[in-house]
Amino acid sequence: MSYLELAGLQKRYGSAVAVDDVSLSVAKGESVALLGPSGCGKTTTLRMLAGLIDPDRGTIRVDGSEITKLPAHKRNMGYVFQSYALFPHLSVARNVAFGLEERGVGKAEITRQVEEGLALVRLSGLGGRRPRELSGGQQQRVALARALVIHPSVLLLDESLSNLDAKLRDTMRHEIRSIQRSLGITTLFVTHDQVEALTMCDRIAVMNRGRIAQIGTAEDIYERPATRFVAEFVGRANALPATRDSDGKVLLWGASQPVAAPPQGEFDLFVRPQRMRLVPVSEPAGGSTVRVAGRVLRSVFVGDHVEVLVEGAGGQLTVEMPSGTTAPAEGAEIAVIWQAQDSLPFAREAA
Amino acid sequence: MIGVARLPLLLVPAGLFVLAIYAWPTLLLLRNGFNEVGPTGAMIEAWSLKTAADTFADGFTFELTLNSLQLSLSATTIALALSYPLSLFLFRTNSRFRGLLAVIAILPMLISSVVRVFGWLAILGDRGLVNTLLQSLGLISAPLRLVFNWTGVTIGLAESIMPYMILALLAGFGQLDRTLEEASRSLGASPLRTFWRVTLPLSLPALALAAGLGFVLSMSAYITPKLLGGGRVFVLATEIFEQATTNTNWPVAAVLAIYTLGLLLLLLVLSNLLARGLKR
Repeated sequence: MSYLELAGLQKRYGSAVAVDDVSLSVAKGESVALLGPSGCGKTTTLRMLAGLIDPDRGTIRVDGSEITKLPAHKRNMGYVFQSYALFPHLSVARNVAFGLEERGVGKAEITRQVEEGLALVRLSGLGGRRPRELSGGQQQRVALARALVIHPSVLLLDESLSNLDAKLRDTMRHEIRSIQRSLGITTLFVTHDQVEALTMCDRIAVMNRGRIAQIGTAEDIYERPATRFVAEFVGRANALPATRDSDGKVLLWGASQPVAAPPQGEFDLFVRPQRMRLVPVSEPAGGSTVRVAGRVLRSVFVGDHVEVLVEGAGGQLTVEMPSGTTAPAEGAEIAVIWQAQDSLPFAREAA
Repeated sequence: MIGVARLPLLLVPAGLFVLAIYAWPTLLLLRNGFNEVGPTGAMIEAWSLKTAADTFADGFTFELTLNSLQLSLSATTIALALSYPLSLFLFRTNSRFRGLLAVIAILPMLISSVVRVFGWLAILGDRGLVNTLLQSLGLISAPLRLVFNWTGVTIGLAESIMPYMILALLAGFGQLDRTLEEASRSLGASPLRTFWRVTLPLSLPALALAAGLGFVLSMSAYITPKLLGGGRVFVLATEIFEQATTNTNWPVAAVLAIYTLGLLLLLLVLSNLLARGLKR
């Protein structure tokens, strides 16, 4: 039995559909990311969950009871805003205490829980400060503590890390993940950053144009993208225009490959650049490897890997080699091979 | 490009303008305050404090001050109570008529005070809109006295300062972020509690600013107290005019004018301090 259940959620703004038929089941204690480009409807979905937007259609259930029409202040959802939304006129401690005060918790109990909350996010002793006296990372933690002390039924994080610098983001990612795990709190995390989604969540719902394109574990999404959009949005991929040969196999760069082509329509073959290997032209293809030949255009050193741009009969592709290995010289004739199962054919979109 | 060091140069034209049309006349006014009035009513050139001393010894000056302060306080309070919800709505609304609504709200500013006052006479007079309506409904038998007294002046003044206060409020609402109200609601505060705990505290600086402005404008208003007061309402501004024109007693008018100016400056300083304190 799922703990949080969204069924057929829809939100329109005039003729524009922001969220279109979103259904999602989340188990208790599970952490799910809503991943997608801006404007895909992920934040709108989160706001409907919090009661900040009324859905036009669909239902929201938490722990068996429907809350679709319940006003925001009766939902008991912990919402961490992208801008943190800390009350500037209240001290850090009063910010954290806000939700407890609204619930009529006793003074002594509030003091105890606020201290506990601040300790949880490692801000003990800063309760007397004003929010603007804190750094971005500290403000983020106050917002998290404020949302956690009310013991929310669901924790909602809206792009909560996007205002932090890269290093702090890494730290907060692990911190939030470990807090989420230790408290066993059901979490929905909106992000456009796939690394955040992949590392912080048990499952990922990739959203596009108001719909969920695919739901699955990080591995599902990355290894077995359900649609062309998911393959393009999550991770890097070469989209190689291909055709069908008379045996129904993929014809790529003038060579038949041991990969079944889709029965009809134009299509591209998606391959992750780090799954490709560069081999000497003399090396033959195996029974289950795809092989194309070409010439090295250039290599770019990116730090943790080297990007090698190869041009051949059917266009260009990028191969990622681990750095530390020697990249082939520019202009060298070379073959590119990869496992047949790493090729994902997707229908070409009308331009 | 203009160097930072030369930037003050840009202030020179405005500075000269202010000096010519404001500072110089004020100095002349100050000079007049030291002159004396002879038994015939003629002005005697002098450097004495006699006029000032006589003016402040007169109980009427104290009464005028109280009248002015009281009138300004009531007009400002009424105007603030009406402007605040209106400004909050204008600040918040996503309506496509927002621009139009804002213009309508500050439109009275563009109408001459005299015309506005006659408008109020038509509404509040003995045979005006309000009285006719109440009488035809049988709620009252004799007309209510709504003009040519303090009631009329307070109503007219409150209306005339509202546009300025709305502008001040809109400008002061900067800190008011809708996300903060959403955060409050997500933490369990009802809309009413959210207003009380978040919206109101965060709009206090704007309210202080608007109140200060409204108060100062009320204190210095002349046309509304004069015309809607019907000669029965005495405040500092009307008395200054009376002394300067009807009595041609310039030294007394000058003393009262400088005194009023001092009061206004004091009030402005106080309201600024208050606004700053609230912003902290």
